Amino acid sequence: MKRVIIAGAGLTKVGDHWNKSILDLAVDAATAALKDAGIATPDQIIIGNMFSGFSSSQESLGAMAADALRLWGVPAFKVESSGASGSMALHVADSLVKSGQANSALVIGVEKMRDLEPSEAARATSLGESSEYVQFFGISQTALGALITQLYMQEYEVTRDELSCFPVIAHKNAVTSEHAQFRKAVSIADVSRSMPVSDPLRLLDCAPVGDGAAAVVLSNDDGMVKDPAIEIAASAASTDSANFYQRDDMLEFMATRRAVTKALSLAGISVRDIDFAEINDSYSAVAGLSVEALGLSKMGEGARDARDGKFDIKGKVPISTYGGLKGRGNPVGATGIYQIVEAYHQLVGKAKANQVVDAKIGLTHNMGGIDSAAVVHILRRIS
Amino acid sequence: MAVSYWRERDRYYRILGSKCQNCSAEFFPPLYRCRKCGSDKLSDHEMPQEGQILAYTLLRDPMTGFEDHDPMPIALIELNNGVRIVAQLADTPIDQITVGSKVRAVFRRVRVNGPNGQIFYGYKFAIKNEKVNLTR
Repeated sequence: MKRVIIAGAGLTKVGDHWNKSILDLAVDAATAALKDAGIATPDQIIIGNMFSGFSSSQESLGAMAADALRLWGVPAFKVESSGASGSMALHVADSLVKSGQANSALVIGVEKMRDLEPSEAARATSLGESSEYVQFFGISQTALGALITQLYMQEYEVTRDELSCFPVIAHKNAVTSEHAQFRKAVSIADVSRSMPVSDPLRLLDCAPVGDGAAAVVLSNDDGMVKDPAIEIAASAASTDSANFYQRDDMLEFMATRRAVTKALSLAGISVRDIDFAEINDSYSAVAGLSVEALGLSKMGEGARDARDGKFDIKGKVPISTYGGLKGRGNPVGATGIYQIVEAYHQLVGKAKANQVVDAKIGLTHNMGGIDSAAVVHILRRIS
Repeated sequence: MAVSYWRERDRYYRILGSKCQNCSAEFFPPLYRCRKCGSDKLSDHEMPQEGQILAYTLLRDPMTGFEDHDPMPIALIELNNGVRIVAQLADTPIDQITVGSKVRAVFRRVRVNGPNGQIFYGYKFAIKNEKVNLTR
């Protein structure tokens, strides 16, 4: 097995790209990443995307991207895994480059959401839930997020204001994050009193709808190694019951727990070695359940750890260092690659105002549905 | 959607799930392998019509086709056999919904395919009112 390094990275701002199509966004991010890597022709192109067919009436994104980039001949395809599409695309690319099947790969995460009316965006983000038993009845992913939030608050006696600490952290970091969708700080009261979306979820508990694309180039060529170089020390994916309410313990994210356990083992480290974590903070309670499943907090203590400063940019384990899904934004299939680009910038020391001091090891955590699928990556500075 | 609806009609009309012939565990929706013991010997099995609310929400951000359900009350329900189901609540004033409320299944219109389209029916749940029993 070969060592896989991140040779280059690129991204677009997350938000309203009224004048850009899904392909325009993908090409912008890919061009930046290829230029950064100094690679003209990768051996492989993989796209992470959840619902281009629904949002843009466009499939065959792999061939479309290869054509647009004038990379005819390069094998290309799309990977879909709901909210984890981006990181799952990277997971596949990592295994190809690690094995030597490809020596380099361009991985693009992209999603176009703002062309959709709000009720259509709600349908799009719910496409990963059961068509017959969830979508048919008009039950959206937000509603499921609300139900698990209520269970979480009841079971662990988490208060409204404690829950609000996750969006507060995300938005604080997003203020200085140039590519973030919402560069605005919010207070605990702002979150706790924002508009109800699906009780007890409020507007500021929920990751927003936005367009965006991010890309990285992977390489196994030691000649490409920059100083400092960043390796993918581990890539691990797992799954759990598609419906969270069919799990024995509804408040344990087992897909995440399995993925992080495997990733730490592959990287040969313990969770205490993690300097920062880009987590899947799609809803405040999901952020709490995620830090708990990742082993960064004890069960039920995630929100209180957030309140006590553990996850602040200068805290013990900073999370969502560029704003997370909540502040940077959540262009669904692109999110997993945004996390990788952000972790890469942290580890090479290019994070400016968002820099985690002396960051050597970063973790990214991305999920599809309510932890139906989870992907964990560990990135490490190696020079 | 008409064909997939027809295919699922017994699931939607009678809450027809699965029972494991090996370990007797019950499930809804129906499935292919028993979640408990792994057996693939499963038979159709009707779920009990009653249960209680474990959690609920009022969805104010409806999906296309449900714009007239704003807010839409949705509950996570534990049926009397322990099977959990997520369903819309019907016939229930919003201020009467509480965690622990006893509920019963009702047969209701779920969605309509446009002004002249097909009407789709299925289960919803209503808070049990001991005084008036509208079922059966």
